[in-house]
Amino acid sequence: MSGAHVLVVDDEPQILRALQTNLRGAGYDVETAATGEEALAAAAVHPPDAVILDLVLPDVHGSEVCRELRQWCTAPILVLSAVGDEQEKVAALDAGADDYVTKPFGVDELLARLRAALRRAAPSTEPVLEIGDLRVDLEKHSVTVAGRRVALTPNEFELLRFLAQNEGKLLTHRMILREVWGPAYGGESHYLHVYVSQLRRKLEPDPARPRYLLTEPGAGYRLVAPLAARS
Amino acid sequence: MQLDLGRNKDTTRALAVVSSIGAVALVTAAIFALRGSVPVLSLGVLYLFAVLPVAVVFGLPYAVGVSIASMIAFNYFFLPPIHNLALRDSANWFALAVYLVTAVVVSDLAARSRRRTAEAEQREREAAFLADVAATLLEAEYVQECLNDVAERIAELLGMKRARIELESLRRPDKGEAAVDLQLGPRRVGRLFFSADETPNPDSTQRVLPALASILAVAFERERLSRAAVEAESLRRSDAMKTALLRAVSHDLRSPLTAIRAAGEGLGREDLQFDAADRALLVETITGEAARLERLVSNLIDLSRLEAGAARPRPELWTADGLVARAIETIGSDADRIEIALPGDPVAAMVDGAQIERVLVNLIENALKFSSTTDPIEISAEGDGRELLIRVRDHGPGIDPREAARIFEPFEHGTGSTGTGLGLAIASGFAHANGGRVWAEAAEGGGTVFTLALPAASVPAEVRA
Repeated sequence: MSGAHVLVVDDEPQILRALQTNLRGAGYDVETAATGEEALAAAAVHPPDAVILDLVLPDVHGSEVCRELRQWCTAPILVLSAVGDEQEKVAALDAGADDYVTKPFGVDELLARLRAALRRAAPSTEPVLEIGDLRVDLEKHSVTVAGRRVALTPNEFELLRFLAQNEGKLLTHRMILREVWGPAYGGESHYLHVYVSQLRRKLEPDPARPRYLLTEPGAGYRLVAPLAARS
Repeated sequence: MQLDLGRNKDTTRALAVVSSIGAVALVTAAIFALRGSVPVLSLGVLYLFAVLPVAVVFGLPYAVGVSIASMIAFNYFFLPPIHNLALRDSANWFALAVYLVTAVVVSDLAARSRRRTAEAEQREREAAFLADVAATLLEAEYVQECLNDVAERIAELLGMKRARIELESLRRPDKGEAAVDLQLGPRRVGRLFFSADETPNPDSTQRVLPALASILAVAFERERLSRAAVEAESLRRSDAMKTALLRAVSHDLRSPLTAIRAAGEGLGREDLQFDAADRALLVETITGEAARLERLVSNLIDLSRLEAGAARPRPELWTADGLVARAIETIGSDADRIEIALPGDPVAAMVDGAQIERVLVNLIENALKFSSTTDPIEISAEGDGRELLIRVRDHGPGIDPREAARIFEPFEHGTGSTGTGLGLAIASGFAHANGGRVWAEAAEGGGTVFTLALPAASVPAEVRA
């Protein structure tokens, strides 16, 4: 989606400059803002196709900007976080941001995330989801990996369903817990990481080197198609 | 035998009266039984068996009462005229008088000895209490934390239900509360507060409180000194830390910066001629050195957070699989050299996933650094019920046992190593923060094996499925 209009929000001029140059080079139409207020104003005048948002802004927290934007804007939001802002990062994701990259990041990684975010549509409602060799049939409650049937417990199936319907999208722990265990999640939710490692044992060719079910450190999990992720 | 001082006084009195009457009745019955075979007058002395226990258990006043009561009973039941308090024979008057005097004298002696025993026992308890309190207080890290326990015990010792000790307190007693000072010479160490309706045993109070005051004063002083020593030590450490940090920063930050600047300026100059390969090399220098700076900075941040005690773990239940997978995902392309053996049954630990990821990544990076690019790194995990053990083994030059502990100190590295020597210190720091430990030893058949041990946690069966 070249030519897309991208709003970049960061208060550090040198980062803004570097991002602007690289994004323009990649064919995007770039607009910049240095504060949360500027960003909201700019987005209102010229609705962006995507937003790249630094979490630490001089006036408001990045998560506040996410919440405000999400009231009327569905464009994907990519947040920039630094080591140490993990909680703020999760707050922004829970407030509606779609993905994040950790500073310092490579341009390749940023562009790949941006492309993926722009491409990603609403959660899939297809009855059968195919991700790489993984095939999830929501109606029959059946899962196969490369044609081989895999038996899952009801919780494992629910977890896989939610991840698969949001293929490629980062799902925070809270989103997963709320979806799989209901709004008043508790009890078994402590075992999310354990459920994930069991799911990997059943689905991944090599559970210690996950290719489908990826950890997003400190934030959540993401289900991807292996080839797309490795290219 | 000693009566419980804490017991209600009315109950004690009632018990004394009932026991006294019972004792007289019992001896009377005995004399009644014996009077056929022994001259009755000589049996009067048996009443001493009633008087003595009462004297020992309840004290002199009751013993005197029992003496008089038994004299009357003897007269009434056994001395002619029987069932009458009058006496026919004047010799009997004399016998009764002798008996009474004997009874009172013996009771007094018995009561005295009882008091003395009781006092000796009380002193023994006081001495034991003081010895114990001294040991507790002088060992304790914080005197304040032991005070409730000490107060509870001193309340018991002084015959009160409860008391509290306030150190260096000038608080006046509240309503319904009384207080005595814990005084050491002119200095008031603290105050002992108790309920106003209770009276502490005065003798014990006089003996124990000055001793307690001096123990408290010494313990307090010791605590202050040891705190000062800890502060001095941590200052010294942080000083050593700063020096090492400065050295690391000046060297390890400068060299990549120099390379980046040289490459960047070179690329920017129009008078220099580069072919495509040169240009690519310069660009690679910039990105590679920037990545090196990034690693160094994140290590320095980790280390300073650990040193500042700011790296508080957020524990969640993680399986060995999950922890190893996180580390492998982070390592990236070098992970192809790693061989992984996971346990058949999932083993888990309650740890901070991000911090344990740092531990494993640093151990793996260390292993990668110390072995040739053709040698595999082996990672294995197992649980022994008590601990979850994750091992990282390389086929490098191995480790000198003398260096095995030192390499986990910040800014230390084994012989022949380059680098800042931060990775293993951080690994060890995060392992400890999560209740675990890391150690290194020579591997069988060459190379080094690093072991991370974490306290194991169980995975409920319903989750395991």
